[in-house]
Amino acid sequence: MSIQLDELRKSFDGKEVLRGFTLTVEDGETSAIVGPSGCGKSVLLKHLVGLLRPDGGTVFVDGQSVPELRKKELVRLRRRIGYVFQFAALFDSMTISANIAMGLRRLPGWDRKRIASRVEECLALVDLNGLGERYPAQLSGGQRKRAGLARAIAASPKYLLYDEPTTGLDPVTTSVIDRLILRMRDELGVTALVVTHDMTSAFRVADRITLLHEGRARFTGAPAEVRTADDDVLRGFVDGDPALYYGVQGGQDDGA
Amino acid sequence: MVLFPVTGHLSRPFAASGRSTLAALGSVGRAWALFAGSLRAIGELRVWGPMLLPQMARVGVASVPIALFIATFTGIVMSLQASYTLTGAIPHYFVGTLVGKTMIMELGPALTGLTLAGRVGANISAELGTMRVTEQVDALETLAYNPLAYLVVPRVLAGLVMFPFVVLLAIAMGIASGWLTALELLDMSSAEFIKGLRLFFAPWDVWFAVIKSVSFGAVVTGVGCFCGLQTEQGAEGVGKSATRTVVISSMLILCLDAFWAATLL
Amino acid sequence: MERRREIWVGAVVMFGIAVGVVGTMWLKGGWGSDQVALRTASTSVGQLVAGASVKFRGVAVGRVESVTVVPTGEAVMVEMTVRPDLAIPADAAVVVAPESFFGDWQAEITTREEYSSLTFYEHAEDGVLAGAALPDFSRLTATADEIARRLKVMSDRFEIAFTEETAMNLRHLIDNLGVISDDLTTMISQQAARFDELAVGVTESAREFTAAARVARTTMEKMDGILTDANVGTMLGDAGESMANLKTLTGDMRAAMTELRTAAQQGSATMTRLETLLASAESGEGLLGRLLGDPELADGATAAVANLNQLLADIKENPTRYLSFSIF
Ligand SMILES: Nc1ncnc2c1ncn2[C@@H]1O[C@H](COP(=O)(O)OP(=O)(O)O)[C@@H](O)[C@H]1O
Ligand SMILES: [Mg+2]
Repeated sequence: MSIQLDELRKSFDGKEVLRGFTLTVEDGETSAIVGPSGCGKSVLLKHLVGLLRPDGGTVFVDGQSVPELRKKELVRLRRRIGYVFQFAALFDSMTISANIAMGLRRLPGWDRKRIASRVEECLALVDLNGLGERYPAQLSGGQRKRAGLARAIAASPKYLLYDEPTTGLDPVTTSVIDRLILRMRDELGVTALVVTHDMTSAFRVADRITLLHEGRARFTGAPAEVRTADDDVLRGFVDGDPALYYGVQGGQDDGA
Repeated sequence: MVLFPVTGHLSRPFAASGRSTLAALGSVGRAWALFAGSLRAIGELRVWGPMLLPQMARVGVASVPIALFIATFTGIVMSLQASYTLTGAIPHYFVGTLVGKTMIMELGPALTGLTLAGRVGANISAELGTMRVTEQVDALETLAYNPLAYLVVPRVLAGLVMFPFVVLLAIAMGIASGWLTALELLDMSSAEFIKGLRLFFAPWDVWFAVIKSVSFGAVVTGVGCFCGLQTEQGAEGVGKSATRTVVISSMLILCLDAFWAATLL
Repeated sequence: MERRREIWVGAVVMFGIAVGVVGTMWLKGGWGSDQVALRTASTSVGQLVAGASVKFRGVAVGRVESVTVVPTGEAVMVEMTVRPDLAIPADAAVVVAPESFFGDWQAEITTREEYSSLTFYEHAEDGVLAGAALPDFSRLTATADEIARRLKVMSDRFEIAFTEETAMNLRHLIDNLGVISDDLTTMISQQAARFDELAVGVTESAREFTAAARVARTTMEKMDGILTDANVGTMLGDAGESMANLKTLTGDMRAAMTELRTAAQQGSATMTRLETLLASAESGEGLLGRLLGDPELADGATAAVANLNQLLADIKENPTRYLSFSIF
């Protein structure tokens, strides 16, 4: 089971974003993908829920080949996946509670009462008690991110995909979110893929870290390995050294 | 190669026209996909059912004031211009005929349609466009909703159902204001105006107006949804989509108007 | 919130339906189901179309639903709906006539006695009322057309010589004036039943028109005599008399034209010219010779004829302009 990507390729208008990306996330593991902005992290995540179709390669989630699923099966798979969007993507015409309830209303056997109590539970889990009747526009950025997380976990998914959950947040809120991600893994046993460019956060939450570079997985390893690895690009990204990071790139780009 | 260089500036016009042709074909293809997908999504009653009423309120009820406003002035102008045109030998009561016929068969449906292309179409387009660029549409999909069922079907159905009612009210308003104008400014009597109104009236005219406005409702909301969901590139894209919606649906309304006149009359 | 929305949507829908249904029924002029269907057949229907009103004793009681030619092609079937409480007379017949002169015709439920001068078409089928249509004004214009053509010939001849042929043509013209006035009289008398007082003036005019035409005919007969008789003395006398008669004729015709108020302006101008022309001919000693010799006189006559020509052409083009006064 788990998440398996093999030789995933995707390009937009002739511009190659993913050029054969391979990655495996084991059951119950939280894996982080790091890389600079615009390197294709969000594109990668969208393939896992069938929002984008790959140009080549395979995408397996929960043992199913996502691009080959029929509509009904895809819907069933999506119920097992929680997706936390980069900018929360809350429905701004609805209250936070209604946002969280959205996914639940599609599930069989969930009546109004059960939904309401689950919504309260989720709000408590992300520390938003009492804010359920507010509209997204009335919340701060951090609160919105947490509300998006609450919506993603409401239906108790087996898989959680986080798209930059801590970007743009202050350090305190960042560590609150990081702790939430860990709680999801430890208490609910979810398999998670966290996409981020925040190395501190990645080190905190991830069992394994993958560097996405020029459309491929440049390096994969445990946080400890990442700290000690002597790959120039990885070092350049982790330490924030453009000379190291871009130095290698020039020679490789032509070949692509 | 010598006569027809493939590269270089000479090939540019060809490339450009080829590109725009492909783009146009692509739009038609996507519009067809949206149409077919929406037809299939009609089956998902549980998804769009609860959304229908709010959309009917938005598309229909909220459009009534502007539609009545336009119709009021159309009626006044029709009445005054009819009496200006019909001088001399033609009797005065033809003002009633002219106001009634044109309001029911043409101006009621077409002017309301064009107005609502701006009011409803642009609104839908901007709303769905914002949802698209802020990934709310993607979010819907990850929550196992079919965006066509949740967003498109209720809006188009609401347009289909509510437009005829808005148009009927507008027609009634236009005739009433034309009548009042005839009484107050043209020194006609009610009896004269009604006589003219009834002179060439056929119940089919009303059906004609209803058929037209149903199609206009579908066009305005459908184009709004299509352009909205096609939105790219942030706030600027949302604005572009709204403009495109108004332009495209206005043109389609006028084409349809001519089409119905050619096929149904 | 939700509740208010429901109420508003419901209100717009209900109100829309109400406006649509009530408005349609009201404009149709009845409540559909409780209307009674009537049929009539006639050899022609003038300009009657679906939607025209059906009247009984001058009161609108229904509408024409359809106008179709019967399969055999010998008559037109008119289907109408009328109020159910209408008591239709036993010998009812339908007269199709203009409601005004602007293309809106009506079907009047009446009895045969009231229009005894009309021949009604009897349809073989049961329950189909006998029908007849009053003449259309466009029929008169055909005659006017003929007159205009002869006048054109006349005006050409005037420029050459006032010969026997000219006199013959003039007689034709006057005969035709007689025909048109007869037509007018017939039509007016048929319509008089409906337009009563309004039409009296027109009937009168038409009668005067006929009288004038008769005088003209006598005059021309005398002129015929002049042209064949060699006796100059008689000729002088008769010519003088015929000129006087012609003057009377124009006077009469002018009076008639004055009755036709709108026509009067152009008509009387023409007549005045004719009168002047005749007066100068009478006072001048040259008689027919003078008429032939004097270019000014010939020009005046030509102009008069051209004027009349124009008038008749105009009447033909826009009969309504000259004939509308009796109705409005
Ligand atoms: N729908 C799309 N159409 C065209 N280009 C896209 C689309 N989505 C993403 N891209 C391009 O793919 C690249 C990767 O984008 P993204 O995955 O959003 O980056 P990030 O790693 O910051 O999440 C960017 O250069 C972006 O312009
Ligand atoms: Mg991103």
